Amino acid sequence: MNAAVLRVPGRIGKAARGHGLAALLLLALCLFGVVEVGRGLYIPAKAAVAQVLLDRAFERSRIDHAPHKPWAWADMTPVARLSVPALGVSRIVLDSGSGQALAFGPTLLPGGAALGQAGTAVVAAHRDTHFRFLRDLKKGDVIFAQTREGVERRYRVTGAEVVRWDGYGVADAPIGERLDLVTCYPFDAVRSGPWRYVVHAQAVTQ
Amino acid sequence: MPHTAVSRSHAIRRALIPAIVLTLGAPAAMVVHATVAAADESAADDAAPQDGPATGTLMLHGQGTAKSLPAVRLGTDMDVTVTGQVARVRVTQAFRNTSDTWMEASYLYPLPQDGAVDSLKMVVGQRVIVGHIQPREKARATYEAAKSSGRKAGLVEQQRPNMFSTSVANVGPGETVLISIEYQAPVAQVNGTFSLRLPLVVGPRYTPPHSLTSEVAVADANAVTAAPVLDPALTGKANPTSISVHLAPGFDVANLISRYHRIDVAGPLADRRVTLADKTVPANRDFVLEWRSASADPDLGLFAQHTAKGDYVMAAITPPANLDGVPRPPREMVFVIDNSGSMGGDSMDEAKASLIHALGTLRPQDHFNVIRFDDTMTRLFDHSVSATPDQVALATRFAESLEAQGGTEMLPALKAALEDAGTGGGNDPDVLRQIVFLTDGEISNEREMMAAIGADGGRSHVFMVGIGSAPNDFLMERMSTIGGGVYTHVGAPGEVAAKMMPLLDVLSHPAVRDLSVRVEGGSLDLTPARMPDVYAGRPLVLVGRSDKLAGTLTVSGRIGGKPWERRVDLASALPSPAIEKLWAHRRITDVEADRALGKLEDAAADTEVERIGMESGIVTRRTSLVAVDETPSRPAGARLTREELPIELPAGWDFGSLFGQDAIKTVPATEGSGDRAAMQAQMLELPQTATGFLGTVGKGLALLLAGMTGLALLLRRRRA
Repeated sequence: MNAAVLRVPGRIGKAARGHGLAALLLLALCLFGVVEVGRGLYIPAKAAVAQVLLDRAFERSRIDHAPHKPWAWADMTPVARLSVPALGVSRIVLDSGSGQALAFGPTLLPGGAALGQAGTAVVAAHRDTHFRFLRDLKKGDVIFAQTREGVERRYRVTGAEVVRWDGYGVADAPIGERLDLVTCYPFDAVRSGPWRYVVHAQAVTQ
Repeated sequence: MPHTAVSRSHAIRRALIPAIVLTLGAPAAMVVHATVAAADESAADDAAPQDGPATGTLMLHGQGTAKSLPAVRLGTDMDVTVTGQVARVRVTQAFRNTSDTWMEASYLYPLPQDGAVDSLKMVVGQRVIVGHIQPREKARATYEAAKSSGRKAGLVEQQRPNMFSTSVANVGPGETVLISIEYQAPVAQVNGTFSLRLPLVVGPRYTPPHSLTSEVAVADANAVTAAPVLDPALTGKANPTSISVHLAPGFDVANLISRYHRIDVAGPLADRRVTLADKTVPANRDFVLEWRSASADPDLGLFAQHTAKGDYVMAAITPPANLDGVPRPPREMVFVIDNSGSMGGDSMDEAKASLIHALGTLRPQDHFNVIRFDDTMTRLFDHSVSATPDQVALATRFAESLEAQGGTEMLPALKAALEDAGTGGGNDPDVLRQIVFLTDGEISNEREMMAAIGADGGRSHVFMVGIGSAPNDFLMERMSTIGGGVYTHVGAPGEVAAKMMPLLDVLSHPAVRDLSVRVEGGSLDLTPARMPDVYAGRPLVLVGRSDKLAGTLTVSGRIGGKPWERRVDLASALPSPAIEKLWAHRRITDVEADRALGKLEDAAADTEVERIGMESGIVTRRTSLVAVDETPSRPAGARLTREELPIELPAGWDFGSLFGQDAIKTVPATEGSGDRAAMQAQMLELPQTATGFLGTVGKGLALLLAGMTGLALLLRRRRA
C-alpha cells in the first residue's frame, strides 16, 4: 500500500509537472495564435479606416484643388476617387506607388499617365482589400473617376488579362485616355506569386 | 470569372491543411509554409500558362489585333487599264454592314507612291454620288457634319503618299455602300521590263517615340497605325480582293508574268486581259505584273495631253546600257540591315540572303562595313575595312546570326552610315561611296529619313532594297531618289539572286554622267527639277508642262567617257489622258523634296501642296475627296458605331515577333530595359499587391485551435 501510495504521488507529481509544462506551452501557442489573428485582422481594419480618413482629405482637396495629407505623418496624398456604382464600390486613390501607400489605398503608379490625361493611368491595390472587387468587374462595366483637380471621367471596362509582374507595359504613344486597374492574381492565393490581374478600361464620352 | 470557384475551394483546402497539420505540432509550421507556397505557385502557373493568350502582350498598343471578323465586311475590286506607260486604276471598295446597328467604317490601304487619286464616287443603292476635292480640314468637317446629321458620306484622305484611308458613315443594317476611287500611276521600266505594282496591304508601322513631339505628330502617327491587324487564323476571310488588268501598252506584249499571284491571260498580244486565277485573293501581299515588248526593247516613250489649261508631256528615255568598257573604280560600300520585329519571318531570311549575296561580290580593292539596327544598332567595324576574304567571312557570319526583334529606329543607323564618309575608303573622289539599305521601311517618320539624306548625303549614294511582301515603297523610292541611288524590291525568298544581280551591276556605276536637258523651239516647265542619277537600263522619266507644245527635247551626257545625246520631237507624242495629273503629282513630289531638304518652310510647302491639289483635283496631304448623300438615311436617335477595319498581316510576316509574344519569352530577364521595351511600349513593373492577411489570420486561428485542443485534452486527462 505504502509503496503504492508513495508511488502514486510521485507519479502524480511528475505528471503534474509535465502537465504544467504542456499547459504552459499550449497557452503560449494560443497566445501566439491570438496575436497572429490580431495582426492579420489589423490589415483590413487599417485599410478600411484609412479609406475613411482619406475620403475626408480628398473632400478637402476637391474644394481647394490642393493636396491634403490624410494624417500628419502620412507621406502620400489622395489624388482621385474611383467608384463603380454597379458594385457599390468607392475607393480613394493615392499618389505614391510605394508599398507603404498600398496599405492605405489604391495608388497611381508613377510610370503611367495621370488620370484625366491622354495615355494609360495605372492604379494598383491589394487584391484582398481595396481591389478585391476587380474579380467582379465585367466587360462593359462603368468606372467613374473624380480627380482632386475637378476632372470627371467615365471609363468603360474593355477587358481583363493576366500578366507577369515584369511582362507588362503601357504604350508610349498616347492613344486616348485609358485606365488599367492592377492587382495580384489569383485572388484567393495565400502567398504572392508572379501573376498580376489587369482590368483595362477606356474613357467614354457621356 | 471561371477561376473563382476553383480558387475558392483551393483556398479552403489550403486553410485546412495548416489547421490539420498544426494540431500535430507547431514546429511543423515552417515546413507547411513552404509547401503552401509551392502549391500556390504551381496553381498560379496552371491558371495562366506563360505562352498562352492569357499572358497578354501589350507590346503594340497603338496597333491592336483583331481576333474576330469586323461587323462591316469589305470587298475590294481593282480594275486596271494600262495605256502606253500609264496605268489608270479604279478601286471599288464594297462596305457591307452585317450587323443590326448603323455603322461608320474606316479602312487604311496602300496605293502606289506615285499614284494620283482624282475621282471618288459613292454608290448607294441605285444612286451615284460624286465626290469633290476640298482642303483637308474642310473635307473632314463636311464629312463630320453629314455624319452627325444622319446622311451617308464618304471621305478619302491621304495619310502618306502611298497610304490612304476611306471612311464611310451611316451604313444601315444589312446595307452595302460602294466607294469607288480612281488613280493613275506611271508604269515602272527597268532593263526593258515594264512592271505594274498594285500594293494591297499596309504593313504595320513602327513609330519612334522621339517623333511624337506634338499633338499633330501623335495624330499623324495614330492615323497610320490605327487599323488593327487581323489574326492570321482569319487570313483570307476579310478584305478579299479581285483584280483585272487591261493591258494595251502600244506594242505586242511578251514575257507577261505575275510575280506573286496566279493569273489567267486572254486577248490579242497588243491588248491583253489579265484576271486572277483564284477570282479573289487575300489582301496580304502586293500584286506585281511584269511584261516586255515582243520586239526590241523600247528606249523612248513619249506621251502628251492637250487641255484648256495647257499641254502636258511625259518622256521616258532609256540611255544605252553599255558598261563593258567602263572602268570599275574602287568602292566603299556600307550595308545597313534592318532586324526589327516587323522583319520577322520570311523577310529576315530574304534580307540576310541579299546581304550575303552582296558581300560575295566585293573585290579586295573595295572597302566595306555592315550596320544592323532594330531599336538598337551595331556597327560590325568601327570604320570601313578592306574587303579581304577574312573580313568578308566575318561579315557573313555576322549576317547569319541576326534575328528579328524590337522596334525600328532607322534614323541613327542611317546617320551612322552617312557620317562614316571619308574614313576607311579615303577621300579619293574616284572611290564610289554607296550605302545599301535592306529594310521593309515600316516606319511612320519617313520625312526625318529624307531630311537626313538631304542634309548629310554628301557624296554617298543610297540604294534601297525593299524586303518582304509589302514594303513601304514611298520611303524606298524617295530615299533612293534623294540619295542618288535606285530602289529594288525583293518580294520572295527565291528572288534574291535575280533581283540583287542587276542591282549590283547598277551599283558599280551611274550610266550617264553630266546629264543635262534642254528644249529648243519652245518652252517647257520640267519635273523633276533636280536631275536624278540615271543608272544602266533605267529610263529618265521627265514630265513637263507648256502653253503650246512644240520644238525638240534634247537629253545629253557622257556614257563611259564618250558624249551621248538623244533628241526627241515633242510634236510626235502619242495622246494620253493621264499626263496632267502625273505632272501635278510630280510637282508635289518636288515640293516635298524641297521640304525634306530644308529649302522650303513647312507652312509654305503645305500651301503649295494644297494649291496644286485643289487646282488639279487630286488627293494630297492637304486635300481630300469627300462625297455626301443629301438624303438623310439614319433616323434621328439611332446610334452610330465606329469601326476601324482590320488589315491583313502581310504575307511572310511573323505575328509572334511583331506583337511581342515571343519577345517576352525569349528575352532573358537580365537584359536592359531598352531591349524589352520593344515595339513602342513602356515597361512598367507591377508592385506586389497582396497583404496576405487571410493567411496570417488563418495561421493564427490554426495555432489557437491547436493550443485550445491541447489544453482541452490535458484538462480531460486531469479530470479522468
